[in-house]
Amino acid sequence: MKPWMSAWDGLDVFPAGTPEWAVAASIVGFVYFFVIMPGAGFMAFLDRKISADLQARIGPNRVGLAGLFQPLADLLKLLQKEKRIVSGWREAFWLGLHTMALYSTVAVLPLGSMFLLVDTDMSAFMLFWAALILALGTMLMGLNQGSIPGWFGGIRVASQALAGAFPAMIGMICVGLRAGSFRWSAVAAAQGSSPLHWTVFSDPFQFIAFFVFLASGMVLLGISPLDGGLSVPDIHGGVSSHLYGRRLSLFRLGRFYGFFLWSEIAVVLFMGAWNLPLFVTDAIRNYSTPVALEAVELLVLLVKTGLVMLGVTWVARANPRIRADQITDMAWKVLSPLSLMALIGTTVWMIWVNH
Amino acid sequence: MIIDRRTGSRPEHLRTDLTSWVVGPYHGALPGPMRVHLKLDGEVVVAGVVETGFLHRGLEKALELHPWRSTIPYMDHLDPESAVFGELVLCLAVEEIVGIVVPPRAQRIRVILAELTRLSCHLGFIARVARAVGSDTMLHYVLRDREKVLDLLELQTGSRASLNFLRFGGVVADVTEGFMERVHETVDMLRVRLKEYNDLFTFNRAFVKRTANVGIISSEFAKHLGISGPNARAAGLPYDVRKSYPYCGYDQLDFHIPLGKGEGGTQGDALDRFLLRLREIALGIDLLKQAVESLPRGPFWKESLMDNFEVPAGEAYVRVESPRGMLGCHLVSDGGKNPSRVQFRVPTLPLLQAVPDLLVGGRLEDLPVILASLDLGIAEADR
Repeated sequence: MKPWMSAWDGLDVFPAGTPEWAVAASIVGFVYFFVIMPGAGFMAFLDRKISADLQARIGPNRVGLAGLFQPLADLLKLLQKEKRIVSGWREAFWLGLHTMALYSTVAVLPLGSMFLLVDTDMSAFMLFWAALILALGTMLMGLNQGSIPGWFGGIRVASQALAGAFPAMIGMICVGLRAGSFRWSAVAAAQGSSPLHWTVFSDPFQFIAFFVFLASGMVLLGISPLDGGLSVPDIHGGVSSHLYGRRLSLFRLGRFYGFFLWSEIAVVLFMGAWNLPLFVTDAIRNYSTPVALEAVELLVLLVKTGLVMLGVTWVARANPRIRADQITDMAWKVLSPLSLMALIGTTVWMIWVNH
Repeated sequence: MIIDRRTGSRPEHLRTDLTSWVVGPYHGALPGPMRVHLKLDGEVVVAGVVETGFLHRGLEKALELHPWRSTIPYMDHLDPESAVFGELVLCLAVEEIVGIVVPPRAQRIRVILAELTRLSCHLGFIARVARAVGSDTMLHYVLRDREKVLDLLELQTGSRASLNFLRFGGVVADVTEGFMERVHETVDMLRVRLKEYNDLFTFNRAFVKRTANVGIISSEFAKHLGISGPNARAAGLPYDVRKSYPYCGYDQLDFHIPLGKGEGGTQGDALDRFLLRLREIALGIDLLKQAVESLPRGPFWKESLMDNFEVPAGEAYVRVESPRGMLGCHLVSDGGKNPSRVQFRVPTLPLLQAVPDLLVGGRLEDLPVILASLDLGIAEADR
């Protein structure tokens, strides 16, 4: 075992002598198929149901119990819409490349104290890899449609990604300052299970950093209501205006993954990660297996992530779509100065208040 | 186009010249079938040309081909969203030529129907603005309330959209049992909902930023083009046909017409036009309360007109205040069975002329907001 993989020594689910690459591949596959995909379906359902409640509608209620299987039905429908698949090798190559690049970040995803495939000093920065790959891919897809809506959508996505990346990065550095490292395990260890020990409430500047991180992530990824690149009323869907069938489901899943990734990492960085109260951890350690502990931690993390995502959705439903130039304005002129203020403030706080 | 699909060549330089984009005839941003030929510099509109006529049905000609009494259902289609105003303007014109004095009760029922239609039309306007700025929540809220108003129209006339309820000399039927109570209930509900709309729109900074200083119509510009109705009042012109040329007994009702104040940005911008509609909904609530409470007793229909209805030779020009502005009707009769010539002055036409000027300098994302905030009725413009 290489040192960076030592974190999951306790998880003895693989027989001894399994090659490292096989372990890594099966973990990535497991996360993708049993965490990301069902998570996307469930969150899509929750999003639609709660939005419907907010909008005086009923929402999905036919497929399965209370419409729970509606996302699955949608997926099946989208898959069979494409009778004849026409794509050249260039397109297949690019699609494959981007999909792989995006989901390669599954390997870095922090999912619990023992579920850290890659836990290095640079781990937290891998988030930007995913977000920028997603933005680049979305932009190229828009530009390649050869249509005006796609063109405008692509350019808006790119400009938003550029505007959102800087404040998001600075917001993340604030956390690194406090934890002393960008290693997932260190960031988690610097926080506790109680909200009082979360980074976000540790000092006022971290609170600003949290706000900046979340808001600029929404700018960077173009999450509603900051999704000028997918605006329906003017450029009827922008980047996604020509998508249907398999490609649309792939695109939606990619965007969901971006949103999920960002919210999950916001939880890990600012909201106590997967930390459980010490007595719970001890109890599970004493009376059960490490796998059970890991499962509980994962559950806690996913529930917190889901709540963050629903909070963002709530804000999105109550507000109109912001104009693309106003979004970039906000990112450059409000979020960026705020993030720098948070960085300086955190530094000063650490030097004079904590010591 | 970015890529020449025919030759498959990919230009290796970044195109920085103007983009041409023809929006329409069917597009989510448009109020109906129309075309906007845009020239864009980046996202900023540098020129816009409006093309209409996709919904021409020859309505004015059709009226000449039908006996007098059969013309009324056609008038519902002048502007399907505010159907009763088409009927009203034709009835008033015919009544002026013939010299019919409409019974007060019938007049008041007409006012009630007209104000209910205005409410539903303004609620539809709010829904369209909500869709233009991309907020589905508000859209659903408003459409839910609009249904209640349409329910009232259905209760009274049996139809939600094409009412076909007015007749020369009165209306088809007296008020339905329970209608008055339902009107009271509904306007009370709307008064509560107005607060909700204010929370969702008026006090929402994101919404104000989308609409303030967008598509500004100055009072001079409005006067120059002949813009009337809520759009002109939002620009500060105190002109309302209900006050200037009262009809149907509007002079007996007590009301003040609201004007745009430019709270969020400039007087006459999209936000002002939006807020003015909200105020007009409040005004409509007041008017409905007054009209329902003081409904006179008496006949709802001029009995003597039942048989052998004839219109003597003559002509008349009447105007009413439709939800979109001043709706005029020039009616000529040669004493025959059919109208000889009917011509309409619709409020949407001057607005369509204003669109190119309003678009220039705005951004592409402002296009739906500007078009929605003007409340264009393509059906009546093309007729």
